[in-house]
Amino acid sequence: MVLFRHPVPAALMLALAGFAALRASPAVSAAPVRVEICEQDIPRNGDWAAADVRATEAYDEDAFGLFELPHKYIATGVRADRAFPTLVRATARISLPAGKHRLLLRSRGPARLFVGGTQVLETPLDQPRIYTTLRAVGGEVLFNEQDNYLNLGPDFRLAPPGNRETWSTVVFSGAPVDVRLETLVGNLEPKSKTPFRPELGETVVAVSLEGSDRWSLLSPGSRSIPYTDKGWAAYEAERRSRLAALNQAARVARRGEHAAYWQRRRDAGAAWLAATKAEPVPSLPPGFPAHNPIDHFISARIAAVAEDYAPAKVQAGVDFHRDIRPILEAQCFNCHQGAKVKGGLRLDLREHALRGGTGDGPAIVPFKPEASALLQRVTTTDAEDLMPAKSDPLPARDVALLRRWIAEGAPWPEFARQSLELTGLADDLTFLRRVTLDTVGVVPDEREIADFLGDRSPERRTRVIDRLLQDPRWADSWMGYWLDVLAENPNLINPTRNNTGPFRWWLHESLLDNKPLDLFATELIRMEGSASFGGPAGFGVASQNDVPAAAKAVIIGTTFLGVEMKCARCHDSPSHVSKQSELFSLAAMLDRKPVKVPMTSSVPMDHLTAGGRLPLIEVTLPPGSQVAPAWPFAQYCDEATVAALVEQPENHRDQVAALITAPQNERFAQVMANRIWERFMNRGIVESPGDWEKSAVSHPELLRWLGRELVRSGYDMKALTRLILTSHAYQRAVDPKLPATSPLFTAPAPRRIGAEQLVDSLFAATGKPFDVEPVNIDLDSARPMNVSLDLGIATRSWMLASTSNERDRPSLALPRNQVISEVLEVFGWRAERPDGVGGMRRVESNVLQPALLANGTMMMWLVRLSEDHGLTSVVLEDQPLEQLIDRLYLRLLTRRPTAAERARCVGILQPGYAQRVIRNPPPPAPPGPHVRPKYVAWSNHMSSEANVARVEQAAAARRGDAPSPRLDDAWRQRFEDVLWALLNAPEWTHVM
Amino acid sequence: MDARHVTPPRPHLNLPSELSHPLPMNRRTFLTQLAATAAAASLPAHLRAAETTRVVSLPKGKAEHCIFIWLGGGLSQIDTFDPKRRGSSKAKPSLPGTDYDLVDTAVPGVRFTEPLAKSARLAEQITAVRTVRHNIGEHGLATNFIHTGRAVSGSITYPSFGSIIAHERGAIDEKVPAYLLIGYPNVSRGPGFLGPRHGYIYLTDTETGPVGFSPVERISAERAARRQSVLQPLQDHAEAGLADYAEVQREALRLAGPGFMRNFRLDEEPAALRQAYGGEFGQRCLLSRRLVQSGVRFIEVSHNLNFINGAGWDTHNAGHQNQYGLVQELDSAFSTLIRDLESKRLLDKTLIVIGTEFGRPGKFDAGGGRGHQPESFSLILAGGGLKHRGAYGTTDDLSAKIVEQPVSVPDFHATIHAALGIDPTKNLGAGSRPVPITDGGKPIAALFG
Repeated sequence: MVLFRHPVPAALMLALAGFAALRASPAVSAAPVRVEICEQDIPRNGDWAAADVRATEAYDEDAFGLFELPHKYIATGVRADRAFPTLVRATARISLPAGKHRLLLRSRGPARLFVGGTQVLETPLDQPRIYTTLRAVGGEVLFNEQDNYLNLGPDFRLAPPGNRETWSTVVFSGAPVDVRLETLVGNLEPKSKTPFRPELGETVVAVSLEGSDRWSLLSPGSRSIPYTDKGWAAYEAERRSRLAALNQAARVARRGEHAAYWQRRRDAGAAWLAATKAEPVPSLPPGFPAHNPIDHFISARIAAVAEDYAPAKVQAGVDFHRDIRPILEAQCFNCHQGAKVKGGLRLDLREHALRGGTGDGPAIVPFKPEASALLQRVTTTDAEDLMPAKSDPLPARDVALLRRWIAEGAPWPEFARQSLELTGLADDLTFLRRVTLDTVGVVPDEREIADFLGDRSPERRTRVIDRLLQDPRWADSWMGYWLDVLAENPNLINPTRNNTGPFRWWLHESLLDNKPLDLFATELIRMEGSASFGGPAGFGVASQNDVPAAAKAVIIGTTFLGVEMKCARCHDSPSHVSKQSELFSLAAMLDRKPVKVPMTSSVPMDHLTAGGRLPLIEVTLPPGSQVAPAWPFAQYCDEATVAALVEQPENHRDQVAALITAPQNERFAQVMANRIWERFMNRGIVESPGDWEKSAVSHPELLRWLGRELVRSGYDMKALTRLILTSHAYQRAVDPKLPATSPLFTAPAPRRIGAEQLVDSLFAATGKPFDVEPVNIDLDSARPMNVSLDLGIATRSWMLASTSNERDRPSLALPRNQVISEVLEVFGWRAERPDGVGGMRRVESNVLQPALLANGTMMMWLVRLSEDHGLTSVVLEDQPLEQLIDRLYLRLLTRRPTAAERARCVGILQPGYAQRVIRNPPPPAPPGPHVRPKYVAWSNHMSSEANVARVEQAAAARRGDAPSPRLDDAWRQRFEDVLWALLNAPEWTHVM
Repeated sequence: MDARHVTPPRPHLNLPSELSHPLPMNRRTFLTQLAATAAAASLPAHLRAAETTRVVSLPKGKAEHCIFIWLGGGLSQIDTFDPKRRGSSKAKPSLPGTDYDLVDTAVPGVRFTEPLAKSARLAEQITAVRTVRHNIGEHGLATNFIHTGRAVSGSITYPSFGSIIAHERGAIDEKVPAYLLIGYPNVSRGPGFLGPRHGYIYLTDTETGPVGFSPVERISAERAARRQSVLQPLQDHAEAGLADYAEVQREALRLAGPGFMRNFRLDEEPAALRQAYGGEFGQRCLLSRRLVQSGVRFIEVSHNLNFINGAGWDTHNAGHQNQYGLVQELDSAFSTLIRDLESKRLLDKTLIVIGTEFGRPGKFDAGGGRGHQPESFSLILAGGGLKHRGAYGTTDDLSAKIVEQPVSVPDFHATIHAALGIDPTKNLGAGSRPVPITDGGKPIAALFG
């Protein structure tokens, strides 16, 4: 039986009583809450669907507490949108003791609640008011409109932003009764008919039993879930991991539906391997260490090169790599390197330089400087002939060096003269830090260190590698790399600057699932699923771009084929072989229809022909040209070869995917192998992974072997990673004198730590929670989905994004996000990624890096021993000071302190150590009044109060958390000083 | 070439603007002559105004610093520097036109609005460039365009002109950074392909000092010494490969020291002067002057604190109602900055630029405010040794359309660069691709000489 706060006709009361009696059942049901998702036949005019509208999906929950639906996956398991709007219906048979209980209904979209078949609650359409006022779109909702919210008990959870809510008292007979909740997600904005984001917010039915002021989630079972801030947080965390498991299972199921096709692809790979010549693994030269075939290839190369460095062959005088190559690189390579060069002259290879170009004859005649065209060209007084063509003449010193070098016979050894000695294996802890950072993106914790040191087996390094490869943080550690390479570039508000959808979620799931790389590339190129909420379709988006498909073709070219086509957007590349027609025909394939070259992607022709020397660039596709879909890269793979492999032959995108990922396309497997290699070895076998035309292959046989191993593994990224990580070459000690990793891989150079690795490691090592605002400006979902994204709660650096505060409004800042972003950015992370990156970032030291670490807000958060800081509990433990210091060094630097370091720390921390713990800290301040803190969002950001509130949030971020009252202040400060110094140690900035 | 692997400026390829050049023997040196006729062909048709096809000298100014005041939201030119017939936002129906009274300026024939009365008296040191145009009506994208002068390409991230100036000219004193931002960091203000070394150091309010250089919590001298005592051995033991980081670490420590940080102590300034500058925005302008004195090359000062009218300069609907106070605040700070620089003999060496995304139409919207108008708007120049004239260019009777002397954003940038002695046609290297400093921009010749 049901009672309303408002008078209810007696007839209805009777009907309800009778209904409840009819449905009463003696058995107490423990059945779960059945959640049904209904995508079909949902009215788009705001009306409710029929009560029995058919469910398209269903799953179970423990209680009427929903915040997110399991994702919908299509095709091989990519996220997709559901219909707008979609109805969510949750039903359960509930038993409550007899009595007049209060029921609360809360929801993001419109919702209604039925008890015993009768509607008892409906969240109002006009509440919160953001949903009915146009001012929300302009950001002009009054700040004090947030003062209207329900407060129904002392620890009642006050509604988070953007939820409607209502309540009522309902009479229950004590008999079980059917409860049904309906809500619309992705509802349409009434005027524009544009959907809101399909979010549930906090869609909840909660109950407070008669006589109680406590609330709990309505649940059919015996489980009691308090609906308080704490209770909800715990429940949400628990359900999030369950949702993740449901989502993963759904992806696996979708992929399973395509198992037959992908098995065919695996068979094709095996057949291709069998039909083609294997790459023989060279025998190991004497005296070289080897863990696996990789070491054979590398050692054989070193041994072969070493002959060139026999003392008799090494000359004194000008050193090519030290003296000459830098001149050629700086002054000549722009036009005279690689396959496409000016005047037919290449200066990157000796044989070409000896042969010369089309005009001048040999550029270099050994021992004869005056006969060498190179020297004539850099010294002539004829402005038309003088080189370099477009900059200052060569300094006299460089000319003299070139002359001497040629006079000495122009010796041109393949590698720089350097030590050919290998370093030995890195010591155990150095190895552990390196391999943990490389695979899971953070430094090892105390447990991982102890486990590794405790394992005395000779296989312990391999065991660590195998454990790390199974760690789900593997996915996090690769995110920064792929977001950069694939130019993921979502914008929280108003997509403009070449923004994409947030396909980060597809990327992350692909890495979690360890998708084979051919499937990974195929899904990306197919661009299916959700454009706005994390599917690969988001890759296909390019806002404010005149030809999005061409932008994507450029990225696909660099990422999967190592073909650089940026220049071909507007003209044939001056220094690459790529032509406009190649780029645009690939773009047309991605667009699945002819594309037109726009005015804005060109260079005016009259420009090129006006006066002066011959133009270096050529426009071969005038604006307005129509280009039909065609595969431009037959040199790697052709249509006939893959005809039998294409799953959707009528789909141009699928053709592209098959042409790129077929085993016959050796280039693909090698490009991917080289990417993985570069990531771990800090130098590619092809040095620029996105542009193979411009760099030589240092180990062609090894590259081919790795490519074949990748095919053999079924394009398994982890299998190839395992090969690399277990090699002696990977595990060798750093040579700190090396400015860059040797092209012979004799030893790694110190490698700059990635921005995300650094920041995530600092949080992980200190145990300070990574606590930032939601990555979302539209907290209350007042804006339609095309102009606002919610990127959720960030727990790792890669999850952040630019707040795009071009408007310079304090109210649109996210101060805690900014604190982390500013550190990430100076270490090379990009808040916005309008263009792709070829491979790993190259970041130089700059003064802001140490400045922000030393003085920035993030470091203050990390140093202050607040109650939630991970080291607070560590220093409270009863242990000898020396042990604490050792643990600190291990946690932070993955090494033990030297005796001097330990003594210095003891000197600082010994005084007062015994008295550091405050036994009876003052009780925490009593909680303030139970009021909802005001939030700032797009909807209200134009109000002065919103700006004031945000400025106060920024000040609070700068103040940081209060120190723990359980620690003596003076001792704590001294400990924090030590912690500060250890966190600022230069060794944090490099992987050794 | 990896796009993030930024190389120093390189010798470059033939580029159209240089191709057009008759190639004198000194072509490798700073170009002093420019045959603009052929180069003009590279411009969109609407920019091929009669004036730009004349052969002009490429001017080279002598300014040493630039203070760039950013009015985020879109300055209403018709209510400020390009006033027209009197209108009214309050009339029913509203009457298109300028919403405030007009005042004469020190330059005969040039008028501003009454809330700019103080600046009007200094108009001989000011040029309101009234005929700037582009076609972007969205804030984020227009902000990017005004800062970089280039459309978003998807294949390259362009630097802001502040970063270009920092890159080309560096700091005057090596003890200070070249580029300071007083406002929120964003990509549009950043160094793009020039790399982080040419980015800004920033602060979001004058009280807190620059991020990274003013410690967020007060650390006693004793604690600071203790921290260094533990850090120093860690630095000394940094192996060779880490030495360059230890080096920038020492440099950061120096910048965080009293020398550079003293510039942020505004309480050293006379109270009357601080008062004349006005509120937080004025204090930012005062800080800019101190930074100029310290040798900083480029300072961007953001003025969109939203406290006066919520909307800042984005004066839609109700945001327009308090615009008067906003303009007055600008007037106080701008005029005081000019006078202050002049009194310190810095005005001719310091180019002041006022920038904004776009302008606003003469007609009012339904809420009594104004929408966006990129087709015709004003950007302001002052000081910097330019030949000022109060205003440049003519718009129609509601400043909705340009009548004569159109100025593209690249032209405006070229004017700034030329004023600072930078050749706007010079190529910067983005990997192997040459990128001219401006996209075919030509300085406004009338402001030089």
